[in-house]
Amino acid sequence: MNYLKLAFRRLFRKGEHAFTRIISLTAGLAFGILLLSEVLYYYSYDSFYPDADRIYVVHENFKMDKSSDKLESFPRVSGAIAPGLKAEVPGIEAATRLNSIGDHVIYTDDLNSYDASISLADEHLFDVLPLPMVSGNPKEILNSPMTCMVSQEIADNMGGNVEGKVIGIKNYPDKKLTIGGVFETLPENTNYTYDILVSMVSTEQFTWDGTNNWMGNDRYYACVKLSPGTNPKDLAHAVRAMQVKHQDIEKMEEEQQGIVLQYSFMPIKKIHVDNVKDMIVILSTIALAVLFVSLMNYILLTMGTLVTRAKSSAIHKTCGAETKNLQQMIFSETAVLFLVSIVGAILMIWALKPMAEAQWGHSLSSVLNPYVIVPLALLVVFLIFITSYFPGRFFSRVPVATAFRDYQQKRGKWKLVLLSFQFVGATFILTVLVIVTLQYNSMKNADHGYITEGVYYGSTEGMDGNKLSTVLNELRAMPEIETVGLGYDVPISGASGNNVLSPDEKRDLFNVADFYEVDSNYLSILGIKVDEGEDFTNKEAVANDVLISKKGAELLKLNNRWTDGVVGKQITISEHGNTTIRGVFPNFVVRSISDPDVRPSVFFYLPEEKFEQLKIENPSMSFNIMVKAHEGAQEGLINKITEVFNLGFPHDDAEIKSLEAEQLNAYKGQKGFRNAMLIGNIIILLVTIIGLLGYTFNESTRRRKELAIRRINGATLWDILKAFISDLEYVALPAVLLGLIGAWFTADKWMQNFAFKVHLHWGLFAACSLFILLLVALIAGINYTRTANQNPVDALRQE
Amino acid sequence: MLLQLNNIFKWVNSGGQRIFLLKDINLEVEEGEFISIMGPSGSGKSTLLNVIGMLDAFDEGEYNFLEESVHDLKEKHRANLYKEYIGFVFQSYHLLDELTVQENLEMPLIYKKFKGSERKAMVADMLDRFSIVGKKDLFPAQLSGGQQQLVGIARALISNPKLILADEPTGNLNSKQGEEIMELFKQLNEEGVTIIQVTHSEKNAEYGSRIINLLDGRMI
Repeated sequence: MNYLKLAFRRLFRKGEHAFTRIISLTAGLAFGILLLSEVLYYYSYDSFYPDADRIYVVHENFKMDKSSDKLESFPRVSGAIAPGLKAEVPGIEAATRLNSIGDHVIYTDDLNSYDASISLADEHLFDVLPLPMVSGNPKEILNSPMTCMVSQEIADNMGGNVEGKVIGIKNYPDKKLTIGGVFETLPENTNYTYDILVSMVSTEQFTWDGTNNWMGNDRYYACVKLSPGTNPKDLAHAVRAMQVKHQDIEKMEEEQQGIVLQYSFMPIKKIHVDNVKDMIVILSTIALAVLFVSLMNYILLTMGTLVTRAKSSAIHKTCGAETKNLQQMIFSETAVLFLVSIVGAILMIWALKPMAEAQWGHSLSSVLNPYVIVPLALLVVFLIFITSYFPGRFFSRVPVATAFRDYQQKRGKWKLVLLSFQFVGATFILTVLVIVTLQYNSMKNADHGYITEGVYYGSTEGMDGNKLSTVLNELRAMPEIETVGLGYDVPISGASGNNVLSPDEKRDLFNVADFYEVDSNYLSILGIKVDEGEDFTNKEAVANDVLISKKGAELLKLNNRWTDGVVGKQITISEHGNTTIRGVFPNFVVRSISDPDVRPSVFFYLPEEKFEQLKIENPSMSFNIMVKAHEGAQEGLINKITEVFNLGFPHDDAEIKSLEAEQLNAYKGQKGFRNAMLIGNIIILLVTIIGLLGYTFNESTRRRKELAIRRINGATLWDILKAFISDLEYVALPAVLLGLIGAWFTADKWMQNFAFKVHLHWGLFAACSLFILLLVALIAGINYTRTANQNPVDALRQE
Repeated sequence: MLLQLNNIFKWVNSGGQRIFLLKDINLEVEEGEFISIMGPSGSGKSTLLNVIGMLDAFDEGEYNFLEESVHDLKEKHRANLYKEYIGFVFQSYHLLDELTVQENLEMPLIYKKFKGSERKAMVADMLDRFSIVGKKDLFPAQLSGGQQQLVGIARALISNPKLILADEPTGNLNSKQGEEIMELFKQLNEEGVTIIQVTHSEKNAEYGSRIINLLDGRMI
């Protein structure tokens, strides 16, 4: 028998709930697959490298807080570590290092510009992290000064044949690179991305050359490939020996009275998974909840067709069908329904593509790799098996004579169990959605300790230093602009780190978020007021004076036993040397509330004319020009500011950002999560409503006679609704409680990511529960009212 | 002997009481007989027919079909037996709505694992024999009650069963259609097919060579 043909015909039969089953499956599969594919995508990171199981990233472990025993792990090391490991640690087959010099605008001779992420790489890169070459010899290229190779994507954008072409970098106007080859573009699922690789021997052309450094300048992404069968833990002794030999680590440990620096090897495939482990738990939970609820609903609706299906199965049996035939039939039907639903799900995912890509930060096509597709395909097959096996088994077991004898469904507690799973899912996701929304709104609107409204900034990267003062003067002349200032970083982009040393300069006291130099206007633009001492507007301020956050001041007082405050005191900070503290400012949020940098922060003073001088002397140096606009003068202001900035840019390519928009952008992850929850919530509610409608419809049909008898005996509509709805609410109540518990655990875990958490008031949980219980009552009420209002005589006659 | 029922009992337990559906049924049926089972509603006619058709189990007694002890057979064996020798005709036809006339007829042959070419020939024969060739691509809902029952009978006959069990085969038909169906049964019986029908109609019962009356599960 052609079961597939039969299954297709059944799709269009009345009373089989095929459409509703497809809708709920489509929605569940689309959302479930979308989330699960993202989780699997995380696990696919860097798996495309040959022998990826033998590749490890070298981490350095050190104490951020010297008074604590906790070791922080950092995925960058000093320049000499990778070659050192290769030379001195047996079991390391190959080692390489990359040093990012950032995202840049590059120019070809024809003055076309391209955006590219540029890294310096040593000649061993492709021994550890190989990529197929389109043209050129990677070893030769990465060994030749001022030579680079570009990704195929960049090469294609440049017109294809790029070998021998010379490119310039906006931020390094006096440097030229020759393209020596083209490599296949890196997939998106990698921890370390680059579009252009420049030979590491060219380092000093772009930055301070720390390639032979054993300590400090820890900015090198070092990767090693172990020999087959080597356990990274077995290398500890040899690594320590290397440290003793080259870093004099024993002496340092003695001076610092404890661990100073250790190295560990992280499997390259696990790096990303480790970074997003909380997200994996949350996304998987939501995905499985959505899939589970839609599957429960599918089974509920399938079993709702029991009467007709039992008869049909009986007919097949009387014609000689065996159990396996009936199971094959149900399997074919399920497979067809799944097939249609999967096609629907793919279309739905396609429709959600822009939103999903914005949320995930990568193209959806990048998940089309075997690490994602194979497990998802297996999952779908498993779901088809589960959802066809049990109904098939059930239908094949209904005795033929029973099926023909006007078979009536029994009360069936299993239906209530299936329904209660849906209530659990609906409550869970609704409550999580409410919490996520509240958390997102509270973070977005929270006081970060500085002003963002009306603040704009742009980098001087690529600006002609001689024109800086013109730009500043023009900006100051704009009627919309209140203040113009200079500074290296803005709070939202985070800060580099340096150590505050003890007065005898022998010990590191603590690490600070170092915002480097700012001019006298910077703090007023951000509305950061100095509580103790004076800011840099004071005429006595000299270059390299420092302002420190309240948290830093407290730590200084504690460590140095200063009882008379910190203002006016001399301290030493690595990279800056000796400096005078001019004042203390209140703590503010560095980076974002969702990803805060909790270190104390510092600003160093540099007068405006010094900024100008530095820019002229070193054109590749860049900092930000900050402006504060007058209130209400923001319409079209970005364009006006850009025009002024472009006075200093030879290629008219200045980029101006709004600090307010950038801060909001810092919470796009939470916003995306909220949106994902919102879609998940809509889907689960839709599926639950479908399930409820199906269940109450079947129940009202099954209990038609009971309803009629109750009506004849004088029951009012309200009496009937009360009795029937309370039956359902008894099931819903424990399910809702379970959903709340799940939501509480999930939300609690998610909120561990944030320093600032919204208060989880009990009223929030009560309101979500009430919503679900009222929804149940409403849907049940509508369906039961329809049946209860039928003429009871008709109902009894049909019986 | 086609089949033999010895001291068959069937009961259900309800409210602590044993309610007998069939009580001490003894019946012998020879090949080629046409038997009508009569009795009021609830007398056990359909239950007896289901027991004979091996669709329903019984609680006590012995049942031999073509010298096979049905009461000792496992379910799969029993299914093979009725698949091979028994055809069913129902009051409400029980055709599969999603299959065409031709496909409904073909279904028993598929389960009996006939080859495609053989199936086609046998279905064509049956369509021809019952003069429903023109209806072969129609679905049951597009046929009249009489036509549906004709298809039901054709489906029961297609695998050449020795026994046709018909449960009120004319119950849903008007008198003219009913008469045509009964004439068809008579003709089939004359061709050698054993028929056992359940009926309420005295007139239809007269088509049979023997009438069995049931009351409260007992033969009277």
